[in-house]
Amino acid sequence: MKAILIDTTKCIGCRACQVACKSWNDLPGEASTFSETWSNPKYLDADNYTRIIFQETTSPKGELHWNFIKRQCNHCLTPACASACPVGALKKLPDGPVVYNDDICIGCRYCMMACPFQVPKFEWSKAVPLIRKCTFCADRLVNNQEPSCAASCPTGCLVFGERDQLLKEAHRRIGLHPGKYYPEVYGEKTGGGTCKLYLTTASFQTLGLDHQGFRPDLGDYPHGLHGREWMAKVPWVALTVGGLCTGLYFYNKRRGEVQDHDKREG
Amino acid sequence: MSQNAKIGLGRGILIGLTALGIVAGIIRLIAGLGATTNLSDAYPWGLWVSFDILTGVALAGGGFTISAAIYVFNLKKFEPLLRPAKLSAFVGYLIFVIGLFFDLGQPWRIWHPMIMWNPESVLFEVSWCVMLYTTVLAIDILIMALERWQAHSWVGFFRNIYVFLIVAGIVLSTLHQSSLGALFLLMPEKMSNLWASPAIGPLFFTSAIIGGMSMVALESILSAKAYGKKLDMELISSLAKGLGFALVIYFAMKVTDLYARGVSVWSLDWAHLLFYLEIFGTVALPAILLYMPEIRQSSRGIMWCAGLAAFGVVLNRFNVSLTSYGGYRDFWYFPSAIEIILTVGLVAQAILVFDFGMRYLPVHSELTPHGATAETG
Repeated sequence: MKAILIDTTKCIGCRACQVACKSWNDLPGEASTFSETWSNPKYLDADNYTRIIFQETTSPKGELHWNFIKRQCNHCLTPACASACPVGALKKLPDGPVVYNDDICIGCRYCMMACPFQVPKFEWSKAVPLIRKCTFCADRLVNNQEPSCAASCPTGCLVFGERDQLLKEAHRRIGLHPGKYYPEVYGEKTGGGTCKLYLTTASFQTLGLDHQGFRPDLGDYPHGLHGREWMAKVPWVALTVGGLCTGLYFYNKRRGEVQDHDKREG
Repeated sequence: MSQNAKIGLGRGILIGLTALGIVAGIIRLIAGLGATTNLSDAYPWGLWVSFDILTGVALAGGGFTISAAIYVFNLKKFEPLLRPAKLSAFVGYLIFVIGLFFDLGQPWRIWHPMIMWNPESVLFEVSWCVMLYTTVLAIDILIMALERWQAHSWVGFFRNIYVFLIVAGIVLSTLHQSSLGALFLLMPEKMSNLWASPAIGPLFFTSAIIGGMSMVALESILSAKAYGKKLDMELISSLAKGLGFALVIYFAMKVTDLYARGVSVWSLDWAHLLFYLEIFGTVALPAILLYMPEIRQSSRGIMWCAGLAAFGVVLNRFNVSLTSYGGYRDFWYFPSAIEIILTVGLVAQAILVFDFGMRYLPVHSELTPHGATAETG
């Protein structure tokens, strides 16, 4: 299982990954706008699969600190989107990527509702819209190339590799610099675990990016499994209800016949 | 005379609204979802999902509820209500299917779940159940039409498989009515915890029974007025009694669920106000009113209670799928004109189809299907 370790302490906010992503996926550029932070674009959408969130925090001593948090599809180990999709247009590949099939999607947008990180986006500007999101450059992985964002990163913030090795590396860094890192890897267990692993200076609770796709309260249980558990019960409910209804139908019918018969006799 | 003129005017307005809805639908298909709706990445689901899909199906729960009451719980006295209930269920599912068609990004791929399976997906199950159940309802309507056309051999054939249709109808309804709630099991973190419950499936199922019963009561009273028929007050009163009972059960389920999850119920934010309106105004209030014999035995009293209960189901579906989700985003959603016109058109179309069915089909025939099976069997 491949993954990317995102050591946000090494990010300088150059956005080379955003540009590389656009080039590889052939996405149109757009005019920049000012925002309250220097984040640009302001949101992920059908033309922007990744972006850097610029977040300024103040340390307890009163020092200002910039956090640069890369956002894209986190490629969950048990993706809620894939559990949600009624036609199976979203699939988790054994190598890691969660990929989308343009040809079978019906455009119901349940994946957008279900994703705990609010990643799948819709082509609202098109008459015949499809879902768009980061593909983990699945088309590069099959050719043994690393994802375009990781390939473009000048500071080594984005490290591509095997997930278990990257986790070891993440914990090694935390152990080596206890003061520098928040001692948890976002994505190791978050939402059942993801293929994007975040090292940050502060907890996501402190960073306060709830509304920008990084909720600290997702828990370790993949939400997609709630759907699977429900579906596991469905055949039994169908059998029980069906059996009871059929039985009672014939019981009632027979009882009606006997009553009619008795009435005629009496 | 004036009665007829009124009905004629009413139909004229409904036809006009349906025509407007069709125009809105065509604009939507040509210009696309983004251009014609106020949906966005922050609100992927809006009015069409909340009303056309979730509410349409819940209020169409009367078909399977009445059918289960008659054939499973042996309450034979409800037989006169069965066919109108099936007709109203059918128009409810028409709203669902047409609404879904316009809501999908790729409408002509609406058939994909038939051959592209994802057995993990709750929505996959819902699509199959709705497809099959709409077919069952269409066969029910077809049987009525065949009776009207006096195609006796065909009617005989369908009567032989009638038990299968009844059981399939109840099973499919149980599954998808609850599964529509189970869709929201995947996103508890995005919803207000007043509604994000692991018990949302059974809660949806029970409130669909309430929605179905109150719609059957409303339609019986209104159609008796519209077609100048005498209302069987005793029958509607016992239906109202059943509705009151269902409301009490639902209220108990809601309280148990909130208590078991330890939700803080008392607060004055938007979510809580909507919640109070839902639980006290549209569940507890009609239940208490229906407990009073003088209200339960007056058609006006029943109309108000059934109206409140039905509105409560609508409100619940909006709360679960839209308002509950609202606090999660920095954005605001209000449906666009096209969204509203299309929905109004769908409702108008449904009333027209129902009206046509009530006049054209033998919905009040003496020969009930059950009597017929007893005969042939």
